[in-house]
Amino acid sequence: MSYDDYLAGKPVIVTAALTGGVQGKEAHPNLPETPGEIAAAAAACEEAGASIVHLHARRDSGERAFSTERFQEVTDAVRNATDDVVIQHSTGGTGAPDALRAEPLRTDPAPEMASLDMGPLNRYDRLTSENTRATVRMLHEEMRERGIKPELEVFNDGHLNESLAIVDELDAPPYVNLIFGPGTLSVPHPRSLLTMVSHLPENAEFNVLGFSRHQLPLTTMSMVLGGHVRVGLEDNIYYRKGELAESNAQFVERAVRIADELGRPVATPARAREILSL
Amino acid sequence: MTDRCPYLDYRRKAGGQSFDAARPYCTAAEEFVQPMRADICAGRYGLDHATDCEIYLAHTDDTTVDVAGATPDGNESREVDDE
Repeated sequence: MSYDDYLAGKPVIVTAALTGGVQGKEAHPNLPETPGEIAAAAAACEEAGASIVHLHARRDSGERAFSTERFQEVTDAVRNATDDVVIQHSTGGTGAPDALRAEPLRTDPAPEMASLDMGPLNRYDRLTSENTRATVRMLHEEMRERGIKPELEVFNDGHLNESLAIVDELDAPPYVNLIFGPGTLSVPHPRSLLTMVSHLPENAEFNVLGFSRHQLPLTTMSMVLGGHVRVGLEDNIYYRKGELAESNAQFVERAVRIADELGRPVATPARAREILSL
Repeated sequence: MTDRCPYLDYRRKAGGQSFDAARPYCTAAEEFVQPMRADICAGRYGLDHATDCEIYLAHTDDTTVDVAGATPDGNESREVDDE
């Protein structure tokens, strides 16, 4: 993907990351946690123009849940509340054992997509999400067995190296999510994004995720570079400085407006499936 | 599974926030706990507050509070180093 794709008006895929596993209602009262809340948020985001919803599951207390059963509740609720949106399950889970990490892949039906973290990252002062090559391989093999498209989560340049090393094992096109933010994430700056995009294989589709205040500028830049965007309360709870966002859909609406101004149509779920060969 | 943190509580209300279901609350930090931190508080997945939680370590004198939240004689202890 490239600037030529922007000039050609290639459709942009908008992913809505609704919930996440790091923050909850203690950080934002409107962050969806229950299956019903997540489903309602998914429906609002689809209505606003999102073609993919990235899903996590929670316990009733707001704590993280990884079990197939809880993901089944969430994904059933989302499927019932939406028309055609592409469902992407998270397999991330700092501190959680590998066996649990695979459980979100085992819903019936399987999700069309799932995240695949490409390497380690730090959390707080003492936690590391290890994501060893063995873990990545195990999750990827299960995704292939179940026909699930991986979204490669590239938290920094080293993870891009890891992605390039397995690109021949991926069904085309590889779908790479470039992530920018603090700590062990890629330095959140336009220069970093340009560098990362310049190293991608020509046949790759890429998505951009910028944490907190970097969400708006870096996703906008992605649209100019022919990439796709991920927005939502998982990654950013502020609509602008000092102002909490109203909802996930509010972020999607803004992304759609920007895409429209830039002359890139927003992909329907069906078009997103074509672009990503789901 | 390791023991849960002695500072972990589950509350519906605190500090001006209220929720439909009881949520993990850290009595050391005096705030509701983020979901990922709660796994440390609850001792899930082999995580241990005594080694993995900087809040616990900053607030605890190891001679007065053990990881089970009780002193060696079995009495509950809420002795906290408030710095």
